[in-house]
Amino acid sequence: MRVSLKMWFLSIMLSLALASPALAQKFDWQQAKGTQLRVLLNKHPWQGAIEPHLKEFEALTGIKLVAEVYPEDQFRAKVLVELTSGASSIDVFMSMPAQEGLKYVRAGWLQPVDEFLKNPALTAPDYNWNDFLEKTRDAMVIEGKIIGPPIQVENTSLMYRKDVFQKYNVKVPTTLDELEAAAKALNGKAMTDDGQPGYGIVARGKRAAATSQFAAYLHAMGSTWLAPNREPIFNNEDGIKALDLYGRLLRLYGPPGSENNHWYEASSIFSQGKAAMYTDANSLFPVIEDAQKSKVVGKVGYALFPRGPKGQYGSTVAAWGLAMPKTSQNQKAAWLFMQWATAKEQVLAVQSEKGVLGARESVWKDPKGMAKVPADLRESLTMGSKVGTPLWNPPVVAVAECRDAIGAAIVVSIQGGDVRAADNKAATDVKRIMLETEKK
Amino acid sequence: MRHLGTGWSRFVERHPVPVFTLPSVVAVALLMAFPVAYTLYMSVHSWYASSLTSPQFTGLGNFRRAFFEDDRFRNALWLTVYFTALATALQLVLGVSLALVLNRPFRGKGLVRSVFLLPMVATPVAIALVWMMMYNPTLGVMNYLVGLAGLGPYRWVSNAAIVVPALAIVDTWEWTPLITLITLAGLATLPIEPYESALIDGASVTQMFWRITLPLLRPTIIVALLFRAIDCLKTFDIIYVMTQGGPGFASETLNVYTFQVGLFYFHIGYASSLLVILFALVLGVSLLLIKVRRGAW
Repeated sequence: MRVSLKMWFLSIMLSLALASPALAQKFDWQQAKGTQLRVLLNKHPWQGAIEPHLKEFEALTGIKLVAEVYPEDQFRAKVLVELTSGASSIDVFMSMPAQEGLKYVRAGWLQPVDEFLKNPALTAPDYNWNDFLEKTRDAMVIEGKIIGPPIQVENTSLMYRKDVFQKYNVKVPTTLDELEAAAKALNGKAMTDDGQPGYGIVARGKRAAATSQFAAYLHAMGSTWLAPNREPIFNNEDGIKALDLYGRLLRLYGPPGSENNHWYEASSIFSQGKAAMYTDANSLFPVIEDAQKSKVVGKVGYALFPRGPKGQYGSTVAAWGLAMPKTSQNQKAAWLFMQWATAKEQVLAVQSEKGVLGARESVWKDPKGMAKVPADLRESLTMGSKVGTPLWNPPVVAVAECRDAIGAAIVVSIQGGDVRAADNKAATDVKRIMLETEKK
Repeated sequence: MRHLGTGWSRFVERHPVPVFTLPSVVAVALLMAFPVAYTLYMSVHSWYASSLTSPQFTGLGNFRRAFFEDDRFRNALWLTVYFTALATALQLVLGVSLALVLNRPFRGKGLVRSVFLLPMVATPVAIALVWMMMYNPTLGVMNYLVGLAGLGPYRWVSNAAIVVPALAIVDTWEWTPLITLITLAGLATLPIEPYESALIDGASVTQMFWRITLPLLRPTIIVALLFRAIDCLKTFDIIYVMTQGGPGFASETLNVYTFQVGLFYFHIGYASSLLVILFALVLGVSLLLIKVRRGAW
């Protein structure tokens, strides 16, 4: 008893001694005062929402921001060209790690932020990295290193017409089997404003664009892109089942011409009321809830992507984040910006003002953070971002080329071709592409 | 100084041709010869656009890969030839027929001629977007139109089997007027004497067309064909806008594939060798047609 009391006393003393400097010393936001930062932003809801707040950062830190905004295609090209040149003056840029992370990391272009995060002199005590939803943190890790904080998250999820499901008394699918049953049951049923029939389901079918949505079916079915030894295994039995299902759904219960549908075609079919279900990124909700263009405003439910036969989750977790090039001359200031932009106050601000889907759990629990987002979307998004997988793209260097190779198999499946042969061919192609682009 | 000045002007006077053409020669060399030479250089190298690795010499490796290992390339090569043959054949028949019709005198001829030329002046990307809507399987007008004839409905550019003909129709709609225009010019220059003597000899209209008009028009038609064939071989805009090579790779012609390889996969070396192959193809077809024009065959 005496010993344990002594221990208590000791440990309390010790923790006080350790904690007191941190408590006493306020975090120094002004430590990089006078620096100028060049920040490259992609035209995106997050960018639109954070821009009005950038002055607050300048006031807080004394750092001057020069923000450049480009449309997505030009943005990606610009970043790539600058990083390729090896003499980029970019300090911070928006990045989707699953799209370009491995390529950039292998090329040695990115400065991981692990060390900044660990350093109490550089990271505010209330930043709380673990507040980011579990799988969004994973989504920002490439080859064991954190390349930056997430700013926006989306999952492949199931969007469905609540009114149609109710009218025809169909249960909202929670498994892939139920998904197919529902698509079959609702295909051809009246569902538009004027009582016209619609399709059971709609999803992307256009080659490379479809690959990232097929990822949800693949993982729910229990397969994945690559084995731990980096051999393609998406053509295993479960993978073939997933590919077959994706094609079958669109061929039998989807709109004709699915092979040419990108998200804008698919989402417009859905928002015109011509489909009962839609599997795609839930970040599309502003399109579907747009009173100017959509005929299904308020009629759509946002559910977790159905689980597979063995209970696996399929929700993919795609995160936009901030990253820092190794060539940045102002890494400390750059980290201060990344940290500020993803601190709770800013995440709450962009989420409550513009409905940007943030990655912080605490913000999703805050009534202000929930305000702009439908309740079931909030639930399925936070759930999906905890249990899903960040692998919405194959984790390779040549993402675009591999997405095309796999997308070709998806098209074959939609058209009712030989799914097994197509999947095997895609795996062979991916293996060849990896050999060519990842040799060290 | 003065001595230098007179020397220079004397030099200019003696050699006006090289001196005055020099600026344009330099411009052409910089803007055309260098890119072509650099493409040739890159085509025998393997290089992913990156500052970290320099191009590696692979000799004919890229070409071997294209012809023997890359089924996407072979598919693209075949589709390029298929699309070109189909589109130019359609345009040739329609264009020449239209020219023959328009060559007769009738009221409002000038107006009709101008209207026929309109598709040619429209922007290809805009045309592609409009046709995209017309081809839409559920909302488009094309299925309604073929439905009137008791056909369809088709899935048009979403159907791998008919996507190339569907694209050829768009190209035909846009470029038939060019053939019409050139043929009309040719018709205007035809001599009248052969027809007079044919009439005296009692030839029928059909005979006159096959035996006189067509042979005399042959050089003109071949020129029109040459323009269209070269253009079709390198068609990019309408295909990229309408299908991006899809569904799957069913409309991925050589140019579209090269674009993907170069600017999406950043495999600059391989893309360069694909361009060299496309160049050889265009050159081959052109030489062939020129030979036909000269009547060598």
